[in-house]
Amino acid sequence: MLSPKKFKHRKQHKGRIHGNAKGGSQLAYGAYGLKAQSPDRVTARQIEAARRAITRHIKRQGKVWIRIFPDVPVTSKPLEVRQGKGKGSPEYWACRVKPGRIMFELDGVPQDVAREALALAAMKLPVRTKFVSRIGAGEAA
Amino acid sequence: MSKNYAFAAEKRERAGKGVARALRRDGKIPAVIYGDKKEPIKIALPANEVNVEYNRGHMFTTLCDLKVDGDKHLVLARDVQLNPVTDIVEHVDFLRVTKKTTIAVKVPVHFINEDKSPGIFAKAILNVVRHEVELVCSATHIPEQIEVNLEGKETGSSVHISDAILPEGTKPVIEGRNFTIATLVAPKTAAQEEAEEAEAAAEGAEGEEAEAESSEGGEEAAEGAE
Repeated sequence: MLSPKKFKHRKQHKGRIHGNAKGGSQLAYGAYGLKAQSPDRVTARQIEAARRAITRHIKRQGKVWIRIFPDVPVTSKPLEVRQGKGKGSPEYWACRVKPGRIMFELDGVPQDVAREALALAAMKLPVRTKFVSRIGAGEAA
Repeated sequence: MSKNYAFAAEKRERAGKGVARALRRDGKIPAVIYGDKKEPIKIALPANEVNVEYNRGHMFTTLCDLKVDGDKHLVLARDVQLNPVTDIVEHVDFLRVTKKTTIAVKVPVHFINEDKSPGIFAKAILNVVRHEVELVCSATHIPEQIEVNLEGKETGSSVHISDAILPEGTKPVIEGRNFTIATLVAPKTAAQEEAEEAEAAAEGAEGEEAEAESSEGGEEAAEGAE
């Protein structure tokens, strides 16, 4: 699973996700991609599950790029503990995804295979998504 | 070089986000024409036509005959602003060109003879490093695409700019090095993939352990401070 190698502070504020993606909204590497249409936190586990779904469907053909990185530590309190007594301990890493963000890119496979693989990946994610392709991609494939 | 496309535009006097938003609400797109040492002109274009042309491709490599309130302008689209969520065109930049204009344009790369490549026949993956190559050429003779021949390419080999068939009168912006356009890489084997997944799982476990240790250390430190 993806996680930062080192970090400045162990715990962060929760934060809110406002507005649309400012960058990373166009395909940079592959011919096909999965674009977020709603804001949410995507956890490292969800990213890994989506990546596995893609690589298993394309059967080791093609290439996958992950365009998001979970760099927000999420804390939680243990079960049956009263409120107060400080912030809980870090449990997992997440990434704040804004609408418009390309999360995964794919290349080297036909368009129908890419569409199916990214649809399987979308099922593992908490955000609404849409399939995007480079203009003219799929004509030669 | 493909046939020019045409738009009928109207002049707009005011600039700014309020005017631009009002135009978009009316089914139009704000745009600007600049270059050729003349004053820039602010225009409005029909949104549907622009989106159709953009999604057809080759908008940046084909000249446009713009009719602005009766005046004709020969222009080339240089930049497009897209809505990050819907990918609808929100603004277009046009550059005035003449027959003498020489410009640098990003031209899409098209791969031919994929079926004649022994590497691709052996299930190698065509890893495209550059989907577009920047070329210097005359504005009236912009190539629609660059053809790259994959005939005889084996697994592990690379395709460089020297392998591309460049049209006459064009040259790449990057000079002095034979840069890579694509590589033919062998597909991952099942064993490699399993090893990668095991590595990823191990990394995840290590990360969780490290977090647990650091959280214990942190709590102790906090207690000490109290």
